Amino acid sequence: MILDWLLPVLLLSVLALALIGAIRRISLWRAGQPSPVDFFGGLKAMPRRYLVDLHHVVERDKYMSNTHVATAGGFVLSLVLIILVHLFGIESKWLAWPLLASSVLMFVGATFVYKRRKNPPSRLSKGPWMRLPKSLLVFSVTFFLVTLPAAGVLPQGFGGWVLALILAAGVVWGLGEMVFGMTWGGPMKHAFAGALHLAFHRRPERFGGGRSTGLKPVDLDAPVLGVQKPSDFKWNQLLGFDACVQCGKCEAMCPAFAAGQPLNPKKLIQDMVIGLAGGTDAKFAGSPYPGIELGNAKGGPDSTITEGLVNPDTLWSCTTCRACVEECPMMIEHVDAIVDMRRFLTLEKGNTPGKGAETLDNLIATDNPNGYEPGSRMNWAADQNLRVMSEVKEADVLFWVSDGAFDMRSQRILRSFVKLLKAANVDFAVLGDEERDSGDVARRLGDDATFQSLAKRNIAVMNKYRFKRIVTTDPHAFHVLKNEYKDFGGDYEVLHHTTFINELVKDGRIKLGGHKGGTVTYHDPCYLGRYNGEYDSPRELLSAMGIQLAEMERSGFRSRCCGGGGGAPITDIPGERRIADMRIEDARATGAELVAVGCQQCTAMLEGVVEPRPEIKDIAELAADALVEADDSQPARTRRDELAVEVA
Amino acid sequence: MANAEHLKIVALVSVGQHPKSGRARRAEQDARAVELGLNLCGEKVQVLHAGDVAEESLRSYAGMGLKQLRVLQQAAGADASVALGDYLSEHLPDIVLTGVRAESGESSGMTPYLLAEKLGWPLVTRIADIARIENGEAEILQALPRGQRRAIRVRLPFVASVDNAAAAPRQSAYGPGRRAELENLPWVETADEVRAAFEEAPARKRPKRLKMVKAKTAAERFKAATAKSQGGGGRVIKDQPPHEQAQAIFDLLLEEGVLR
Amino acid sequence: MSDIIRRDPRAEWIARNRLHPLHAEMAAPAAETRGPSGLIRKNPHAVGFIGPNGIKRIDRSGGSGAAVGIRRGARSAQQVELPLHTVENPDYYVVAVLDMVGGRLTSHDKDVLGQAHKLIRGGDGSGAVLAVVFGEHKEEAFDKAGVDRLLHLTGSEFDGYCPEQKVACLAEVEKQYQPRYWLFPDSINGGNELGCRLAARLGERPATQAWQVDRDTSVCRGGGGLSDITRDTPRLLLLAEECADPIDETRHQVLALELDRKPRIINRLQDCGQVAVDPNSVSLAEAEFILSAGNGIHDWDQFHQAAEALGATEGASRVAVDDGFMPRFRQVGATGTWVTARVYVAVGISGAVQHMQGIGQCDKVVAINTDAGCDMVKRADLSIIGDSQKVLAQLIELARDYREGGAENAA
Ligand SMILES: Cc1cc2nc3c(=O)[nH]c(=O)nc-3n(C[C@H](O)[C@H](O)[C@H](O)COP(=O)(O)OP(=O)(O)OC[C@H]3O[C@@H](n4cnc5c(N)ncnc54)[C@H](O)[C@@H]3O)c2cc1C
Ligand code: SF4
Ligand code: SF4
Repeated sequence: MILDWLLPVLLLSVLALALIGAIRRISLWRAGQPSPVDFFGGLKAMPRRYLVDLHHVVERDKYMSNTHVATAGGFVLSLVLIILVHLFGIESKWLAWPLLASSVLMFVGATFVYKRRKNPPSRLSKGPWMRLPKSLLVFSVTFFLVTLPAAGVLPQGFGGWVLALILAAGVVWGLGEMVFGMTWGGPMKHAFAGALHLAFHRRPERFGGGRSTGLKPVDLDAPVLGVQKPSDFKWNQLLGFDACVQCGKCEAMCPAFAAGQPLNPKKLIQDMVIGLAGGTDAKFAGSPYPGIELGNAKGGPDSTITEGLVNPDTLWSCTTCRACVEECPMMIEHVDAIVDMRRFLTLEKGNTPGKGAETLDNLIATDNPNGYEPGSRMNWAADQNLRVMSEVKEADVLFWVSDGAFDMRSQRILRSFVKLLKAANVDFAVLGDEERDSGDVARRLGDDATFQSLAKRNIAVMNKYRFKRIVTTDPHAFHVLKNEYKDFGGDYEVLHHTTFINELVKDGRIKLGGHKGGTVTYHDPCYLGRYNGEYDSPRELLSAMGIQLAEMERSGFRSRCCGGGGGAPITDIPGERRIADMRIEDARATGAELVAVGCQQCTAMLEGVVEPRPEIKDIAELAADALVEADDSQPARTRRDELAVEVA
Repeated sequence: MANAEHLKIVALVSVGQHPKSGRARRAEQDARAVELGLNLCGEKVQVLHAGDVAEESLRSYAGMGLKQLRVLQQAAGADASVALGDYLSEHLPDIVLTGVRAESGESSGMTPYLLAEKLGWPLVTRIADIARIENGEAEILQALPRGQRRAIRVRLPFVASVDNAAAAPRQSAYGPGRRAELENLPWVETADEVRAAFEEAPARKRPKRLKMVKAKTAAERFKAATAKSQGGGGRVIKDQPPHEQAQAIFDLLLEEGVLR
Repeated sequence: MSDIIRRDPRAEWIARNRLHPLHAEMAAPAAETRGPSGLIRKNPHAVGFIGPNGIKRIDRSGGSGAAVGIRRGARSAQQVELPLHTVENPDYYVVAVLDMVGGRLTSHDKDVLGQAHKLIRGGDGSGAVLAVVFGEHKEEAFDKAGVDRLLHLTGSEFDGYCPEQKVACLAEVEKQYQPRYWLFPDSINGGNELGCRLAARLGERPATQAWQVDRDTSVCRGGGGLSDITRDTPRLLLLAEECADPIDETRHQVLALELDRKPRIINRLQDCGQVAVDPNSVSLAEAEFILSAGNGIHDWDQFHQAAEALGATEGASRVAVDDGFMPRFRQVGATGTWVTARVYVAVGISGAVQHMQGIGQCDKVVAINTDAGCDMVKRADLSIIGDSQKVLAQLIELARDYREGGAENAA
């Protein structure tokens, strides 16, 4: 019988070819820069990362998660058994029957994949991906049939040579797609690269329920700063790009894409794959970058990415909101990649668009992005009687004021927060003129030199004083202080003001009355929510004011960015819409009259939407308005403070 | 842009000062001079500073894409224009570009004048651009107030001071700025004795001159006393026919002299 | 503000002040001019005045109205004759080289002349202020500005931009008169340039941006405006605006002086004339008069017409840009251009903080808006509450009238 000898030969050669492909692929990744990983630990943890962490993300889409379990589980099991049964020729019903079962399982999964692919949403890539369900079906059916004789269901040599030929063709197709294609760049590549990506992920802290969102520092003495060519990425970043399944979940969430700015995170990752392997994007079968035609991008491991492969505007459109990262089932790190490439543009090319260059110059010369006199940082608080660290040296809480100090609108938030702190008799102090911009914007604009300089000076100042925790009303400063100063020796307990106020309320140190007014919705700031996982405190606090939130469809970890992060308002890459306008649309859909936020940047962005629109207020403002003055504890003091607030 | 790749162009740079923080930085006009030089002859432009090679802000000129920046070593109290003049008369470039006024020190703006006088070259002040260089003659656009321009022709070699109206300097990139070579040339120092006698202090606020009315007649005195102070802000004209409202705007435009 | 329309004392004052640059437009006699053919022409637009209710009136009796039309003789009778300050055979000169923008003394020039007298007053010997004026001028009040001696250098060699020629003459002045002080207005209208050129020529170390000067010490702005330098007063000074009070209580002789040898040099700088710059191609940051459009503009053709008629540079709010009505480089504000215009007219712009950031340095802001409570109105020096379309239509008309009138007057 033909199949008897053909099958092992085919299997063997496909496996050999796959091995060659794997070696080739690995060598492509290894063109990247060294990045230390825990090799064996990673491999050991891989199954768990796949089954638990990745599944956790995939499970948000129940349909796809079940489908994937069936298909992938069926396939892996089938392949192992196929090798045993058909390559090594172990004749045992104990293997053949399970193989039949696993191919059935895979078949069932594959039919669901097929169904999804019948009318695929636009976020899914077409092209070879449309072939995949058929390949899955062919593979499972073929091996089911081929195994029937081994299971003793059918006699050997059943069906004659016609069937044998058909089956042989099926075997070639199935193995070609599923095994050969896995390492030579077919859709199944995701399984091979994905597994290794999980093992050697650059942020292993993300597994097991952890969080790792801070950007990694640039070595400023390196010969090239940032990523110029694909081979400048760390090798495991390249590996990560290769793991993309082109599911387009990132694309569906990306605010810049939705606003018609020339960014599509999925396409970006695929462009990175083109870069690492060499080639063009002519065969890309998904949505292009809005406004940029397919087919013109060309790249290779050693050619400059922004000259031919990716338009710089694509990189500058990103708000670093992490919606893509949050959504990606392969746990790919888009934001890291984008900022890495921005670093090259800013630090090596001096090509930060829009007001970027001016902002960076200001940060360098005045420590604030708008070039205000550094000595006027405390002007907003002239009437607030705040204690300054340089005088008191010590306090329970260090109130990090942030650059909101220079902005009239943000000052209202700051004053409200101060009012609450005073009402609760919190022992707090500020850094005053010694405070500098946290470095958030500089870092997201790719200027890690300026970020590091600001961070180091801020840390040096803070290390002079004693305090237990830092509280800030600015989620960007919050994130940077909490997660990114560690690399420079600044390890602090940092709280967002909503967390802190919530604590005060829970401890009974302040009392909030009811909020008066219509429907309220809450906008999760990216740097508070997705970056730091704080979704609950703001909501608890709002409900403590008796507010029943009308949640937006996209809220919590799916919250849509206001458009204000990552220096995007500064680079201001044109699109078809404004991200903030879309967000206000989201809010309008809930019928809200008021959007509660926890960020001065969100406030500015959302208030930048043309009226009429819902009112925008920071939670600190709402809480200060709802504050019930405690008259038993130090009435005189509270009254005086209140006066001060009124005057302001 | 003018084709000037074969020319020797020197841009002189000083240490600037941020108007708000007073921190050293790349001076705006000098950076524009470098930008103009880069546009004229690319990396070949020679950027020259007289002072201390350790000065950090020089790196932000280098970050504009210079491979090298030459520093004539001068102590703080030395007269930089003498050193620069000597250097230039030794090297005789085709074009010397400077800023109009330095942002720190005396800010007298005399450097280009002294250099032109010493070299015996023509000086074109406040230029916005060099439109063309042909047959040893340059066509220059000089900046006039309110965005106006004057065309000037001048034969090479010449000195030109670059106005704020010239093309904004490109962003300074950190990496190349770090890596550029700052070449230190020890140079003869001439002490600036006049300046040594200066006393420098933070700028005092200058009182705005009050509109003094020296009334000669009773009527004028009366008018002065009853005239409402203009510019007190916020004149609002409401509920009036559009032509009167328009007239009010028009009068203001006339008064400000912006109609021409 | 009250809604009562008052007489415009300024217009009346201009009409009275023959030396005011706008006098020609304001004064009634301008209504009749001799045309190129020698015929008397009437300019209908220059006739009349704005009455107390804001409506244009033509007074055919030729007598009443604002001060317009009152004859000089009548006025000079009211005026007190200022005492004449005379200097015979001066021991030394203080030379003031004047800008004379548009052929008239600028206020800066007058400050410089005031400073010149301040340097003489109370000193040894008798000094005279010698004003140097290049080219034709229209000034008639040198006497009241403090000019004791006038060196008026005329001739075709002073036409156009010719700093080298002028400096050569000043070097001659130095030889012939050996002035005790040389004073220049430190201005962009030529004073700074001539002063620096002469200083370099004579080897003098000038005081620049000097704002407090006496015979011993001068205080100068240095360090890019951040510091004050106190120094011995040098011989050559470039004076800041308002360095001294102008002369206003004396008249002076204005005796003409001559230069024995008038040098004539070959200019190395060849003036090829001013380049015609269309106001709309002037970069926003440099523009002095901006008409800016926001979401409250509904007729964009009309807006462009208005900008053209007024000769204004166009600006826009971000919404106008986002909606595709204006190009991006016209956007004013945080993410657009920070402008420094003398007059900024915001039509239908609400005044969001991000927009306001861009106009922080504007001198006079005019708002045209339907909403009297919007932030732009709070910031504006003059606010028109009304529909932009109607107001712009009227403005276009006014501008056209003005231009036609102006053209005919010039003829
Ligand atoms: C990060 C960020 C950066 C920004 N940067 C800028 C920037 O650089 N520049 C900028 O301009 N904006 C900027 N914005 C947008 C800004 O917040 C406002 O949305 C925008 O300035 C509003 O433009 P507008 O005043 O034209 O529109 P609106 O706010 O809609 O105001 C229209 C005005 O026109 C008046 N109006 C309506 N009809 C008429 C009529 N018929 N006649 C007269 N008046 C009428 C209305 O009363 C109203 O006051 C930014 C926003 C953000 C968040
Ligand atoms: S971080 Fe946000 S804006 Fe950037 S690519 Fe991801 S989803 Fe898009
Ligand atoms: S990057 Fe992640 S989310 Fe985006 S298409 Fe690829 S796998 Fe899907």
